[in-house]
Order: sequence, then C-alpha cells, then structure tokens
Amino acid sequence: MLDAASYFEQVKQALPGDVEARAQALHKAEALGLPTRRLEHWHYTDLARLLKKPTQENAALVATDFSALNPSEVRFEGGVMQASDDAGLADWPALSLTGAEDASDAMVLYNQALAQAGVVLELPEGGQKTLLVTTQGSAPQHLSHHTSLARGAELILIDDNMASGYSNVAWDIELAEDSKLTFVHLQQAGRQVATSTVRLAENATLTRLNLLSGQDIARHAGTIALQAAGARAELHSAILGTDAAHNDVTYVIDHQAADTQSNTTSYHALAGQARGVFQGKVIVQRDAQRVDAQMQARAMMLSDGPEMDAKPELEIYADDVQCAHGTAIGEIDADALFFLRTRGLDEATARQFLITGFIEQVLDACDHEPLVASLRAHIETKIATVLGQGSAS
Amino acid sequence: MSSLLEINNLQASVGDKPILKGLSLSIQPGEVHAIMGPNGSGKSTLSYVLSGKDGYDIGGGSMHLDGQDLADMEPEERAIAGMFLAFQYPLEIPGVTNMTFLKASLNAVRRGRGEDEIDAAQFLRLAREKARALGVDDEMLKRPLNVGFSGGEKKRNEILQMAVLEPRLAILDETDSGLDIDALKTVAEGVNALRAPERGMLLITHYQRLLDFVKPDVVHVMANGRIVKSGGPELALELEASGYADYIDEAVHA
Repeated sequence: MLDAASYFEQVKQALPGDVEARAQALHKAEALGLPTRRLEHWHYTDLARLLKKPTQENAALVATDFSALNPSEVRFEGGVMQASDDAGLADWPALSLTGAEDASDAMVLYNQALAQAGVVLELPEGGQKTLLVTTQGSAPQHLSHHTSLARGAELILIDDNMASGYSNVAWDIELAEDSKLTFVHLQQAGRQVATSTVRLAENATLTRLNLLSGQDIARHAGTIALQAAGARAELHSAILGTDAAHNDVTYVIDHQAADTQSNTTSYHALAGQARGVFQGKVIVQRDAQRVDAQMQARAMMLSDGPEMDAKPELEIYADDVQCAHGTAIGEIDADALFFLRTRGLDEATARQFLITGFIEQVLDACDHEPLVASLRAHIETKIATVLGQGSAS
Repeated sequence: MSSLLEINNLQASVGDKPILKGLSLSIQPGEVHAIMGPNGSGKSTLSYVLSGKDGYDIGGGSMHLDGQDLADMEPEERAIAGMFLAFQYPLEIPGVTNMTFLKASLNAVRRGRGEDEIDAAQFLRLAREKARALGVDDEMLKRPLNVGFSGGEKKRNEILQMAVLEPRLAILDETDSGLDIDALKTVAEGVNALRAPERGMLLITHYQRLLDFVKPDVVHVMANGRIVKSGGPELALELEASGYADYIDEAVHA
C-alpha cells in the first residue's frame, strides 16, 4: 500500500472499468498523500504515521455464527471475490467514479483507483435479504461496494472482517422511501480504512452497528445524509481496544430535511496502550426543523495506559430542534464491582461482566432477535478470549 | 454454643475518621437482630465492613462468621462463606440480564462451596419459583440487572438474590427505605419466608416500620460507632416514641 503507484502498475490490467479514470484518481490521491493529523477529521488518526508501525498480530479471532439468520454469503480474499452463493452479487459493473471529481479524501480516491471488486446489490421494491460479506487473508485489498434498496425493501447486511492485512473498503448505499437497512460492521483484525456513505429518503431507517476489536488499526468513517422527513439513523459502535490497537469511529450526520432523527452512541473499552477515537458531527441544515439528534460517546478505561479522544460536535442552522451530545470517560465503577463480588463473583469475572454489559449496550437499538443473539455471543466470547481470566456464564 | 456472627470490639475508619469505635455484637443461628440508630451512627459502614468493601481501615477488634475470621477475606470469599448484603441502593448493571447474573452468582457460590454447578434448565425452574413468590415476573428476569427498575422492584430483586443464594447471614441495609406500604409488605414476606433455624439476619433500619412486618428477636441501638443499648422488640417501639436524642447524647458523653 505504501507504494500505491507501483502497486497500481502491477494490478491495473486486471482492474475492471476505466483504467484512465483510475489513473486520475490515483494521481489526485498521491497529490494529497496519506492523511496526517494536520487534516481536521484525521486529527486523532495520523494514518501516514500509523501505517509505518509494524503489523500487529491478532491472536484472538473469534468466528461469529450467523447461521440462525440464514444469510446469502460472499467472501473476499486479497480483494478478489472467492465465492458467492448468490450469482446476482458477482456482476461487478464498470467502476463508477461518481463523486470522484470533488473527492477530497485521499483514502476515497485510493479506493476508487485501486478497487478490485465489491458487492453490487440492488434490492427491488419490497425485497428482503440477509447478506453476509466476509474478508479473509493477509494480502492487501481494496473493495468498493454499492447497495441500493428500493421502496420498502429490507436488508440485513453484515460486513465481517477477519483479514489480517491492509484494506481500504468503501460502501455507497442508497435507501429509498420506507426501506430499512441493518448494517453490521465487524472488524477483528488487520489495518482497515472503511468509508461509508448512506443516503436516506423519506421514512427510511438505517441501524448501523460497528463492533471493532482488532489489535491493529481501524478507521471507520461514515457520512449519513438524512434527506427527507421521517428518515432515521441509529448509529452505534462498540470498541474493545487492547495492546496497541488504534480504533477510530468518525461520523458526519447531515440532517438535510425537517423531521429527521439520529441517535449515535459509542462505547470504547480500552486496555493496554490502546487508543480510541470518536468523532461525531451533527449538522442540522437551515429549515430542517423538528430534528431530533442525540449523540453520546462513552469510554471505560481498564488500565492506566490507554488514551481516548472524543469529539462530538453540533452545527445547527435551524431553531426548532432537539439536539444533545455528551461524553463520559471513566473507569470501571468500584461500587458496581463490589456489588457483584458480594454475590460471589471473583474480581476478574465481575470486571468481565461489567465490561460485557458496557459493550453490549451497542445492541440496545437493534430489534432483530437472531442478529442480537449472534452478536451477543460474539461479544461474550471475544471478551472472554481477549481479557482471559473468569468465565461469564 | 458457637455464634453465627461474632463481632468483638470492632474499630474501623475511613482515612483518619473513626466510624466504628469498638462495636460488639453476636448473632446466634436462627436469630433476627435489628440495628437502629440515627443517621451517621455507622450502620451502613458496619454492613460494608462485614461484607468486605474497600476503603475501610480495620483498626482493631475481630469479626467471625461461623468461626471464620472475616478480616482477610475478599467479598466473594465472604459470599461463599454465607455472607449476604442486601444493598440500600442496589446498583444498576446495564447489559447484564438479571437471569444471567443470578445464574453466574449462584454457580460461583456453589463452586466455592464445593457443590456441583446447576444446569440451565434446573436454574430456570429454581429462579422462576423463587421469583414468583416475590412478585418478580419473567419480564423482570430478562431485563438488565436493576436498569430502569422502580425502588420497590430493586428491593424485591435483592431479596430474590438472597433467596437464590441461601446465605447463612443476611444483612439488610435500609431495605425498607423508599418503599410504599405494599412493596414493604411484599419484601417483608420474602424476608420472613427466609427465616430459618440455621440462618441469621441483621436488619439495619432507621425506622421501626419494617419491624412491624419482620419481628426481630433482638433490637440494638447504635450511636456514634457503638451498640449503646440492646433489648427485645419493645425497644424499637420505645425508640419510635421517644426518638434517638437520648442515645446521641449518651454516646457522645460516654
């Protein structure tokens, strides 16, 4: 990845789409360079510097069992689609460079230049689907996914990342009237930059759950555009950061229309020398009255080593709105720990309970029971594996 | 006969502030004792020191449960030994369901006591049976521990934990506080159902009200970090009539 130009020369013949347009995107990306802390929205994630660190081993991968959801599956390795049990997903069209003209983010441009494959899914009116996308392997990969939901369609989309190398992943998602997307993003390994853009039409609902527990680098940036009345976004992230992990969740939530809602939370549990970042910017445009936007960033520091940077922001141009944001960073509650110990739980198990409980709040907004059960099992196994000691059952 | 709980000349302080100043108390199996006293007399400190909370320096004296010295035991070791504290303000634990917590707790105590763990089906039956008696419905069992529970629900939930763990000695710290009369009756019934020849109870309360429903064998008055008077149930009525003023003076001037 560090030498994108020669990598491009190497792979360009195999890339789908317009090679010339890709070359232009690459040229712009190279002119901007890898993001550094001098850019405001990369301030806490100096990617140019972070990518120079040696790759961290991820010892504790925990496979998540989604079989109860009976999903369609598609698997990527080294940026190449390996297997799909749904032929419709494999038709990758010519690269669309929509938006590239004014893309100012080098990582988006790199993705457009280098993306080898991706999911293209257009769910028709009233359609329903559950799709599991998995990534594996250690080779670098660039994926560009495009999804659109027609009126009233419902999709559960799970992006499960176990790949250990570098990856740059982009999701472009369009939600039509009354459609409903539940979008789960898991990252347990590797160094991943994920950029998503979601546009919501009237009464469309997005429930976005990020579960990040890798020990290397994760940067998950999302732009959510609420474009018509009744559109609602639930954006919830849980991060288990250990060792030297760097986990960054960054959202821009743009309330472009009146009567739209967003609810954003993040729960960082940090140990070792881990670093957690949450940035959330709520924008309420002029005339977007009666917007309800809530944002809370919480962090639980499990030792003296970690660092948490939280920056919630409100930018409001309408006058009749309900917006609030807050940040709370603390340690494990000593009284809660004592309470659990008086019930016979040893200290390690009691701590594990409190950490699990803290993290699992990320699931509160999801009402799909089989999905919640799968994710809860994943969280509990992951915490028990990573933090070791006690048993949580 | 050996006491269930034997406290001898116990002294405890927080920082350089002495709170328990030579407290002695003994409870025999099957007995229910009540400790009453004005605010600030050290009642809650006594419950925390007995159950092993951090932050208290034990300056002298001793405390034994069933002959085991509590001083160097962790809170969970005390729980395994049979100590139970029903909290005045039960804590809310988001994300951990009541059921998950109860099962983990019971199995931790059983493991510690060298008993077999209970399986999920057995546990479900046990928890439902005990819960029903306390008016705790299935919905409350599935909810995160105490989160969004009313004051009465939290207190009933404490008694449910006690019923599941079957302690040797239960300390109830102001369990009556914040309860309306119906909730108080339900809680009291739950407590009475747990009275047993081998079990002791220590009710810590500011008011006599709870003692109308849970009849103590012995009533103690605590003031300024010590037991200043002990008697039968009539002592509680006497206090209700005359207040704590006499005892505060007596303790200060002693």
